[in-house]
Amino acid sequence: MNHKLTDGGRVLRVGALARVEGEGAMHVAFDGADVADVQLRIYEPPRFYEAFLRGRAHTEPPDITARICGICPVAYQTSACWAVEDACGVGVPEPVRLMRRLLYCGEWIESHALHVFLLHAPDFLGYDGAIEMAADHADVVELGLRLKKAGNTLMEVVGGRSVHPVNVRVGGFYRFPSRTELGRLRPVLERALDDALVAVGLVSGFDFPDFEQPHEYLSLRADHGYPIEAGTEVVTSTGRSFPVSQFAQQIEETHVAHSNALHARLAGSDAPYVVGPLARYTLNSDRLSGVAREAARGAGLGERCRNPFRSIVVRAVEIVEACHEALAIIDGWADGSPPRVEVPPRAGEGYGASEAPRGTLFHRYVLDGAGIIQDAQIVPPTSQNQAAVEADLRTMAAAWSGLDDHALQHRCEQAIRSYDPCISCATHFLDLTVERS
Amino acid sequence: MTTRAMTGSCLVVGIGDPARGDDGVGLAVARAVADRALPGVYVCVHRDPTALMDLWAGRDLVVVVDAVRSGAVPGTVHRLAVGVGETPLPFPAWAASGRGTHAFGLAAVVELARALGRLPEHLVVVGVEAASFGCGYPLSTEVLAAVPVAAEQVVEEVRAHVRR
Repeated sequence: MNHKLTDGGRVLRVGALARVEGEGAMHVAFDGADVADVQLRIYEPPRFYEAFLRGRAHTEPPDITARICGICPVAYQTSACWAVEDACGVGVPEPVRLMRRLLYCGEWIESHALHVFLLHAPDFLGYDGAIEMAADHADVVELGLRLKKAGNTLMEVVGGRSVHPVNVRVGGFYRFPSRTELGRLRPVLERALDDALVAVGLVSGFDFPDFEQPHEYLSLRADHGYPIEAGTEVVTSTGRSFPVSQFAQQIEETHVAHSNALHARLAGSDAPYVVGPLARYTLNSDRLSGVAREAARGAGLGERCRNPFRSIVVRAVEIVEACHEALAIIDGWADGSPPRVEVPPRAGEGYGASEAPRGTLFHRYVLDGAGIIQDAQIVPPTSQNQAAVEADLRTMAAAWSGLDDHALQHRCEQAIRSYDPCISCATHFLDLTVERS
Repeated sequence: MTTRAMTGSCLVVGIGDPARGDDGVGLAVARAVADRALPGVYVCVHRDPTALMDLWAGRDLVVVVDAVRSGAVPGTVHRLAVGVGETPLPFPAWAASGRGTHAFGLAAVVELARALGRLPEHLVVVGVEAASFGCGYPLSTEVLAAVPVAAEQVVEEVRAHVRR
């Protein structure tokens, strides 16, 4: 960190903002006590996935788009499968949906455990990072590592491996794990559920700054429980609801000069909206299992949560939900169902969405009669949240302009991390610049 | 993860991604060591360093092979003893990988394990100076030439440990 004076103004330059995925910078400019400008600048180069999907076969998006992210590949695989199957007019049988949900639970457990314990908890416990925190809170770090491992193990059994699973294909899976193989996961997941409940109690005791965000929340909503691998419709906190097929019409993506990731707005609105754990929980807390709802209540969460700093509590509750769901699917699993259906290509357009750990992830594909991709659109959660991150930073910077630069920087970083941004997905380190004049 | 050879008190782990040029050198060296079929030595390759703490639990000697970037001539083979009682790795070595991304790098895992008291008694990192990490590229000529040299270094670590 270095400070310098320019033209009587004050510029604070902070080194790489840590514990976020991707390369970007946050610029906050003050004019006196007023916030003049806030920009989340994502300078990670565009990755052109949508462009190089064109010309590929309709069977390829799950494997290609999984490479967008090493932490949430299942989200990309799942949204891609739904969209291609939709384009081809094929519905998958219930066992395929359940196995997608089970695999997705593994990703939620793994991704949320990493974020809660290794990336976000150090903010609340007063450490620069997990390694420094480990010296004083070894039990906390061990709890997180154990949960993360449980998620990885589930992904390995269902997906073939934990990073970029290889068992997923359009129409279902190459093979289903057997009831016996799944049964071996039971003790691991039972321990994980116990650990997750401890985690909820632990993080709910942290100190949270008072802050309520006013933004519209958006999430999938499902008939079958808390939205994870799919939803029947998209809903928002202002009462909008539309089918996944309308996503591209309802969400307008625009380019802004300071970012390589597209910004997104809801049609007819200039205000930012938010996807992710807070939105999911606020719009679906009634869909949680009894054990997760009880844990949420014990942690002091109401039916809605609008404080981004408390997202760590919601993530912990979602780990509980994922463990509970995984156990329920395993207990109800019967061998013998075909692991996939054929998805013959046809000309058409298809849409798919799922709830990535960071929020709603939408895919759209246009196929020709041979199944060759003519057009592809991927709307990742982090790009949808960019405008809201900027708006929150603007409000926080104004409210906390009296804080010294170090304290303000810490609050801002903590706020950004509460979104668990995955900048790689949206288009790697964040530099924070505070300019005062 | 692929495994060869038998279980034993010595573990050799190659870390890296074969699709990222010289990042695959750890895997190539581990395979060269596995081909020697050393008795009592368990050899495996892995893409994710965060799995290391579980892999090395209960082992007397662990040798981790990975690509490194120190500014030395590409193909240079480095040896770092980082086990219990050794000097911790310098902050810049692990800061980025332990903080900046969703993945923990090797150095960050070593220091996290040290903080948690989960380091093996004897842990040696054999590093091969990389030239490039280009997507889809094979090992560079310099790094490919260093594979047998690094493999010999690993074998020597095991022999020295057996003599102890």
